Amino acid sequence: MAEKLVPVVCPWCSVGCRFYAVSVNGYIRKIEFDYDHPTVNRGKLCPKGVASYQFINSPQRLKKPLKRVGERGEGKFKEISWDEAYRIIAEKIKEIKETYGPEAIAFLASEKITFEENYLVHKLSKALGTNNLDFPGRYCQYSNSPARTAIFGSSAATNPFEDVEKAELIVIWGHNPAETAPVFFGQYIEKAILDNGAEMVVIDPRSTRGHKYASLHIKPYPGTDLAIALAMLNVVISEELYDKEFVQERTVGFKDLKEAVKDYTPEWAEKVSGVPSEDIRKVARLIAGKKTALFVNEGMNQHVNGFELALAIANLIAITGNIGKEGVWSGVFPGAQCGFCAAMSGIAPNKLPTGKLVTDDAARAEVERLWGFEIPDWVGLDLTNMIKEMGAKIRMMYIVGGNIAKSAPNSRWVREQLKKLEFLVVQDIFLTETAEYADIVLPAATWFEKTGTAISAERRVQRTYKAAEAPGEAKPDWLIMVELAKELGLGEFFKYEHPDEILREINSVIPLFKGATPEYLAEHPEGCFFPCSEPGEGTKVLFKSAFKTSDGKAHLQPVKWREPPEMPDEEYPLWLTNFRLVGHWHTMTMSEKSPSLEKRWPDEYVMINPIDAEKYGIRNGDLVKVETRRGSVLVKAEVTEHVREGVIAMPWHWQMNFLTLNETHEKTKMAELKAVAARISRVEE
Amino acid sequence: MEMSKKIFLDYKRCIGCRACEVACEMTHGEARIRVFEFPDLFTVPFNCRHCEKAPCLNVCPTGALFRDEDGAVAFDPLKCIGCLMCAVACPFGIPKLDDENKIMDKCDLCADRRAEGKLPACVSACPTEALSYGDINEVLWNREGKIVANLKSSAEKGEGEKAYIVL
Repeated sequence: MAEKLVPVVCPWCSVGCRFYAVSVNGYIRKIEFDYDHPTVNRGKLCPKGVASYQFINSPQRLKKPLKRVGERGEGKFKEISWDEAYRIIAEKIKEIKETYGPEAIAFLASEKITFEENYLVHKLSKALGTNNLDFPGRYCQYSNSPARTAIFGSSAATNPFEDVEKAELIVIWGHNPAETAPVFFGQYIEKAILDNGAEMVVIDPRSTRGHKYASLHIKPYPGTDLAIALAMLNVVISEELYDKEFVQERTVGFKDLKEAVKDYTPEWAEKVSGVPSEDIRKVARLIAGKKTALFVNEGMNQHVNGFELALAIANLIAITGNIGKEGVWSGVFPGAQCGFCAAMSGIAPNKLPTGKLVTDDAARAEVERLWGFEIPDWVGLDLTNMIKEMGAKIRMMYIVGGNIAKSAPNSRWVREQLKKLEFLVVQDIFLTETAEYADIVLPAATWFEKTGTAISAERRVQRTYKAAEAPGEAKPDWLIMVELAKELGLGEFFKYEHPDEILREINSVIPLFKGATPEYLAEHPEGCFFPCSEPGEGTKVLFKSAFKTSDGKAHLQPVKWREPPEMPDEEYPLWLTNFRLVGHWHTMTMSEKSPSLEKRWPDEYVMINPIDAEKYGIRNGDLVKVETRRGSVLVKAEVTEHVREGVIAMPWHWQMNFLTLNETHEKTKMAELKAVAARISRVEE
Repeated sequence: MEMSKKIFLDYKRCIGCRACEVACEMTHGEARIRVFEFPDLFTVPFNCRHCEKAPCLNVCPTGALFRDEDGAVAFDPLKCIGCLMCAVACPFGIPKLDDENKIMDKCDLCADRRAEGKLPACVSACPTEALSYGDINEVLWNREGKIVANLKSSAEKGEGEKAYIVL
């Protein structure tokens, strides 16, 4: 009955906090804070971290493979054996491949499974001959990521979090780290402000938890941030505040950028965004004058014009020289603990695990040599287009740990599309809203029930270890992939008996992770910063001398104003946006099964400004109907100054996506998840 | 003289995440610390003050409440009769009735954790260090030192007024 302290990485957000799971006989008895190692969290945890093992003991855990017996979406299943489940899946895959070709099969990997597991999902999809591969992160960083890749050649965080403490200016733009990443906020942002005298600016239509530290809070209408960013570029260039030496030495394309933004004055942006022009000028001058750590997240990413906004902001970072040195910060900030695990193992319809393109013959040949089988050379479909093509180009889908019935835009449409699939496999820890549409549901082990590798928002690669036994017949995702591959006759390519063996293969296939070996990570719980080319080597600050572009320069991109796909009109006069609560995580699959969280954050609600509330005859606590062209939901109203006039806002964890818009950006495929036109009315209870 | 150890609150650092509540609940089954919301997103976590002249201690008829070696107002559940006298005397309403066991329940600064050399659970968790634990005068001297240092550096930079905002 000896207690074991098992070192684990926290399973929620991407800060990469460590703690110990106190394990007795395969059960987690409690957690203990890790004050022993130089970890990113310095021992600290947020409420989700503290409560993080509660959900694994939920009686609702899946314990046996399930086969659908009712209608799709009805949630009626019968328990079957693993042998039968594998047999059915393998037969169906063969049948669909023969009838429609491998391009009718789509795989969804996950930001919630380990690096090793994402790698195996990727390998299995390619071994079956399909590049229809994506993950729900498509709706996360896929504005900022391609934009920064276009300009800097890499989208990852430029600096470690410790550099945030040295910044002179903190800009929080469409991000709410005080709720979504409280340990990061408390240990780095607060210290910069309260202890080191940094100034803070918040750009958000809502007052977020951290805004009390801000010297300036500007509140654009959702989806109009691009106008502000363009105006800031205009100010910095026309007032000649940019870093001339940096622009000269380290960038190309300044002339075109200057030309592109010359008409976007702060006065123009004020008309579009509702933000006073003087405030836009102030923020632009601050960013140009101070060492800036700039944090953006879903308020910036989750728009159809998010890519243009991300380009504009990355241009701004580049021309003000706030990159490639200490004391600054910018980059993608994934929502999940393993967002980078999917991204860095090449989970995308056009990528190889090495990060190179499937259309690159030489790069493909290199991976073919390492893997020993042929890899398809065509670009597959992204998540939204997979959904669009269900029942047409896509006949079968294999979803590992994703809940698209709730997380994808326009939920009602998604659920209708799911019904059109001929065959759906969902591998998860609970019977999610998506699993209810599955033909076969496979019970997976949770994060604490397996060993594997996680990659945090600051590029920290860390190992997490098995602390509990999975309940019933649930198995870790990597093992399910290995056993299914065997059933499919692909066993020779999937000879793994432990996640260490998968990681060793990754060390040899993906050069950026060559040094992140099982042995090195076991000896160094605090991990290494990728690129870690050799054990013991890591790269804390990126782009110090060159960018990852072909010529080493930052490629400034001209950007034009682009309207959001839907704007308020007479029929739907309000902007509707959404936000996150500290006590819940994404579609609540895990957090609603955590009693300590669920009881503190029990309900959804809609925030409405007192001026709008009066206009529509709504009082605090009234039941209201929030409606868009896609659907409506009933929620309680919270009348508050913490959302600007003309905007209503709901937490997204519950029903928000019944209201959002499945229109996407032509290049990034990002959907409009954050700014839609809505109306609100009081409902008699 | 015995040191008096306390949980001290720097409320300006609090972001209302309620990690302290959840950490307390995970340790004791019920949260003995609560975060209260004030206007403009100010939040204040509040637990037993472990008063230097604790009225609860004075009125407890069975000696269930006692002062332990760290100065905490600690609690012996075997002696408690659930008479609520401590609750009557407490100016903050801190001691609560444990409905199941029919005795009182209150913060004991995590006596079990302290015995193992660990910080109280709420302090261990607090992501922003709004909660700190230690000999109270040491905590306060540090606070004073920091504030004076801030004033000094602001004066040197000629930002006299800003220093008061930082306070």
